This record gives sequence, structure tokens and C-alpha cells, in this order.
Amino acid sequence: MQYYKINSKKQTMKKITLVIICLLLIQYSFSQKRYFTKTGTVSFRAGTAVEDIDGINKSTTSVFDAGTGQIEFALLVKGFEFNSALMMEHFNENYMESDKYPKSIFKGSISNIDKVNFQKDGTYPVTVKGTLEIHGVKKEIETTGSFKVNGKTVSATAEFPVTLEDYKISIPGLVKEKISKTAKIKVNCSYAILK
Amino acid sequence: MKKIKKILLVVLVLGMAGAGYGFYLYHKKPADVRALTANFELTASKIVADFNADETAANKKYLDKIISVKGIVTDNKIDTTGQATVFLDSGDPLAAVTCSFYEEEALSVKSLQKGTEVTIKGKCTGKLMDVVLNKCSIIK
Repeated sequence: MQYYKINSKKQTMKKITLVIICLLLIQYSFSQKRYFTKTGTVSFRAGTAVEDIDGINKSTTSVFDAGTGQIEFALLVKGFEFNSALMMEHFNENYMESDKYPKSIFKGSISNIDKVNFQKDGTYPVTVKGTLEIHGVKKEIETTGSFKVNGKTVSATAEFPVTLEDYKISIPGLVKEKISKTAKIKVNCSYAILK
Repeated sequence: MKKIKKILLVVLVLGMAGAGYGFYLYHKKPADVRALTANFELTASKIVADFNADETAANKKYLDKIISVKGIVTDNKIDTTGQATVFLDSGDPLAAVTCSFYEEEALSVKSLQKGTEVTIKGKCTGKLMDVVLNKCSIIK
């Protein structure tokens, strides 16, 4: 009789501990915030030795969840700014076909979000994996990046290559020398806590 | 001989003119929106309502056009790189109007007060969450 009593006490303790751990985890993930920006910057370089081809978008939207690591970006292709009117025209009409595909989107997650301490100022390396959609084509990508925590602001930077062919972006033979087969993408976003 | 020379000369001049024009076009900067007349004069509420009602139709109507939009400032910010942005209230809590400014106009953004009405001219690039205008400057 005594034996069973001790066992059930152990079981109850185990249950209580489990419940407490669960509650703490829930509390922990709820207390982690979501961060947001509507003025993120995404720029690209697709030039060659012959010529520079640079565009920049300063109204990228992005949100990430500091608890789950989910992160998303969205931008309007027509929002890319160029130094040359002709380059902008070719970019929108011939390469990106922005009337057909007005947005580019990334949906993914930060694989090591638990290594980022949002309560402590500092720079944290991160790995991001997810689906990138450009020109109507979706592709899985993975890149490293960096999160910089400064009080309540978090800035994220990342650089990764995009092979134009992968997204069915075709370069006419006439300008093949001028446009790189792989564009270098740079992301730089400054987030505030989403209230 | 003379005739051939004349013809060659004309061809050469035309060729150079063509090349010159091509060179000019190639290096021409995008138009300065501040110097252009607005295609549409709207309130922030109207343009957001149009995009909410039918995004495809609104895209056809407004994309790449110069819009003069009037609305109440909910926020104005200048980031560390000097990039200035103003957000206008549209009445829709989920969709405002985001106005991304020319770098030289950043100072005018700084002096804007939240809650005041302002008219901003810019180029419409579409709708993400907000209707986004870039190449903006303050009209009134």
C-alpha cells in the first residue's frame, strides 16, 4: 500500500513540473514580440565589368516573430529606383515584367532565433531559410545574415546571390555582356516592435 | 566622286546623331517627379479605398502615375541613412499611404507635425499593406 502511495506522489510531482514547464514555455513565447518595418531597403547589383546596374527599393515591408523565428518580406517591383530611366524601363518591362508580377516576396524562418537575445544589445549571426518568389517563380533559398539589437530597435542585414535564370528572368543576347547572370541582393531593414 | 562623298557625309552625320541620341537616352535619369504635374489629385482615403475595392483595376489606373494625395500625417520618420518617409491616415487601420521621399526633401519631412493635414505628390508603385508612393515631395 505504502509503495503505491509514494509512486503516485512522484507521478503528481512529475505532472506538476510538466505543467509548470509548459506554462513557462507558453509565457515565454507569448512574451516574445513581433517586429515590423515598412521602410526596409532591398538593393541589387547585376552589373558586369562593362557596366554598373544597381537598383534600390526603400519601401520594403517586413515582419518577424522573435519567438518563432518566422520572417517575411514583401516589396513592390515598381518601387525599385535607378539612376537611368532606360534601365528602369528595361527592368520593369523586359526583365521583371512588373505589370504581370508586381510583387516579390520572401517567407521563411530564422533557424537559430533562440540564439538571438532581444533583451541584450549586440550583433547576432543568423541563418534564414525559406521561399523566395521573384517574377512569379518560387524557390527555396538559405542565407546567413546578422541581427543587431539596439534597445527596442532591431536591424537585420543579409546578402545573397540570385541566379536570374532560376526565376525565368531572361536576358536578351544583345545585352548579355552587360548584365550579370547572378545578381547580388542586399537586405537592410530596421525594425520596431509591432504594437 | 562628289556625290558619293556627300552621301557618305550624310550617313556619317546621321550615324553620329543616332549614336549621340542613344548615348543621351542611355544616361538619362528618371524624370524628376517634383517637376511633373500630377495625373490624379486624391485623398488618402480615396486611393486606399480604390485599391481595397479592386486591386487589379486600381493598379491599371494608378501604377506609375503621379498622384497628389491629401491626408493626415500619422507618422513621419527619417532613418539613419537620411531616408524620409511619411505615413498618411486613410481611415483603414490596416492600410495607410506610405510616402517615400526624395533625399533632398528630407528636411521638409522633419518639420511635419503628426495630426496635421498635408498634400504630398509622388509616384504610385502599388499596394503591399499600404498604398506606396515614392519620389515624394510636399506640395502643401
